[in-house]
Amino acid sequence: MKSSSLKRFVFLLFIGMCSFSCASDLDFDQVNDIKIEPVVVANLAYFNIAAPDFIRNGQEQTVLADIPTVDFFNDKFFKERLKKAEIFIELENTIARQYRIDVVFLDVNNQAVYSTNFNVPAYTGSINKVSRTEIFENAQLDLLKRTRRIGFRVQMFAGPALTTSSPGNLILRSSATTYLVVE
Amino acid sequence: MKKIVTFLLLISVVSWSQNKQILYNFAAIPQSVMYNPGADVSYKWYAGIPFLSGVSANFGSTGFSAYDLLADNGVDFNTKLRNVIFSTTAKDRMAINEQLEILSGGFKLKSSLGDETDSYLSFGLYQEFDFLTYVPKDPLILALEGNQNYIGKVFDLSDFNMKAELLSVFHVGYQTKLKPNFIVGGRAKIYSSIYNASSTNNSGYIYTIPASDAVYEQQIYSQLQLNTSGLASYFDSNNEVDAQKDVTKRTLLGGNLGLGFDLGFTYYPKDNLQITGSVIDVGFIKHSKDVESYTLNGTYTYKGVVPNFNQQNDPGTVFQDFKDAIPLDTLNVKYTTWRPAKFNTSVQYSFEEERSDECNCTDGNGKPTYKSAFGAQFFMMTLPKTPIMALTAYYQRKILKGFHAKATYSLDSYSYSNLGLGIATQAGPVNFYILADNLLEYRDVTKANSLGFQFGLNVLVR
Repeated sequence: MKSSSLKRFVFLLFIGMCSFSCASDLDFDQVNDIKIEPVVVANLAYFNIAAPDFIRNGQEQTVLADIPTVDFFNDKFFKERLKKAEIFIELENTIARQYRIDVVFLDVNNQAVYSTNFNVPAYTGSINKVSRTEIFENAQLDLLKRTRRIGFRVQMFAGPALTTSSPGNLILRSSATTYLVVE
Repeated sequence: MKKIVTFLLLISVVSWSQNKQILYNFAAIPQSVMYNPGADVSYKWYAGIPFLSGVSANFGSTGFSAYDLLADNGVDFNTKLRNVIFSTTAKDRMAINEQLEILSGGFKLKSSLGDETDSYLSFGLYQEFDFLTYVPKDPLILALEGNQNYIGKVFDLSDFNMKAELLSVFHVGYQTKLKPNFIVGGRAKIYSSIYNASSTNNSGYIYTIPASDAVYEQQIYSQLQLNTSGLASYFDSNNEVDAQKDVTKRTLLGGNLGLGFDLGFTYYPKDNLQITGSVIDVGFIKHSKDVESYTLNGTYTYKGVVPNFNQQNDPGTVFQDFKDAIPLDTLNVKYTTWRPAKFNTSVQYSFEEERSDECNCTDGNGKPTYKSAFGAQFFMMTLPKTPIMALTAYYQRKILKGFHAKATYSLDSYSYSNLGLGIATQAGPVNFYILADNLLEYRDVTKANSLGFQFGLNVLVR
């Protein structure tokens, strides 16, 4: 008898421990409230033209242009979650000529959705840097998201003639800071 | 995204240690031979009640608990999520281990003259589910915060490290007394893997640093691989799949097969002093059926859009360049996985020799038996990163005839306050046991970092 009542006591103690155990309230639905807001910085564009690159077939090229395709604005995930973008463009000139640089964002119909231009003075011994940061939100951002190609046009103004051994470079650096909201 | 988070939360509610510190060397339970094939068990025979003889589940999560993420306490979920991610490290892990004995039995071997010998044979079939993932801390921070505030930081892609497996194990073990005070045993195992997914040898990085040419130097180097077996046929929508049939067939040796063994011993330097040791699951599985691996291997350096003023070929497009540089490839190659090997050892001191008016006070070999014992155990298990270790002190007592209890206190990476209690009862031929650890965590299970329990029902004849 003694044995069975002790057994029962220990067994009940054990079961009791388990059944009297507590659990704080958990709310699994709050997972639906997830909202993460990563800020991603990335290069947007880059070129580096050495002074001799303006000489082609012995002739000075006063205009250089290209319209490369950009495909990241096509990406549905990125496009839907992009809430704000800052585009930084900087030009650096160490060539003894003055330049105008046009940057034009084009949509699928080759219509400009955003354009900007820079006048960079000729190099006279100290590096010329010109930069600008543009912020895209709301309607401006919607336009930006339509971008399919970016046109770059470099125009060289008159000045001392360049040769294949002229020093200096014209450099464009551009980056984008993208504010994403994932929920 | 929500699905992934929900999944991570679910697995964090459960977790594991695989340390069966209460069952180990608890000789009143026949299943103790599964953790030491040389355990000092001496029954005439036992048979497990199918599907009920050994049920165990262990959960473990270092770093955080379900409460930390899901508490209904008015704190914004995103705040809790950030707190959890920033408070964990890439060595924190979440794990589940579940075992279900389907068949189990054992008996003392008889000599050709019909006498009982000192040799004991045990065998059975059990199913095991293992899941382990490390917290992919760097990729999570990158997803959560982006890289703006992390210029110069190298995000480590080797933080992706997980494995999951459902398998069945056929086993047969043999033990014998080399000397009256020295028992050795071994167990051979055939593994049949039902499902496997593992991604444990990843490397790679993502970084953004200030550059001298473009604004940033941005590079991704990726050597990521996920191996799967038994799963690819489910991804093919043309295939008609019957998961239940697959599980049954693969449980019965129809899966990807492997081999393994356990070894163990029990040694009594003195009647009341016992030393044991075992290694469990030294083995591998060759995955060759229904295998599919996915790789993301390559290097990509991103400068942005680069116009080409020479009017030659179009320089290509960023996304396409990326996909070409780090392609997602699907391969069908065989691979091998190793079972997580476990190592146990213990030393035990027994006292309170049983008196002759209470029982026949020898174990049949003329050795005295004792009511009480205390001891210490050490446990170690191999994991993809660093091994897990635990140290246990315990007190074991035969409270009454047919009623044994074992209390444990363990130190491990999940907690420093792991109290466990196990009881084993023998009423006639019916042997029942129930074991639970982390008892203090039952005060609030949602805050538990680790929980484990086991129970089972056997027919056992001494």
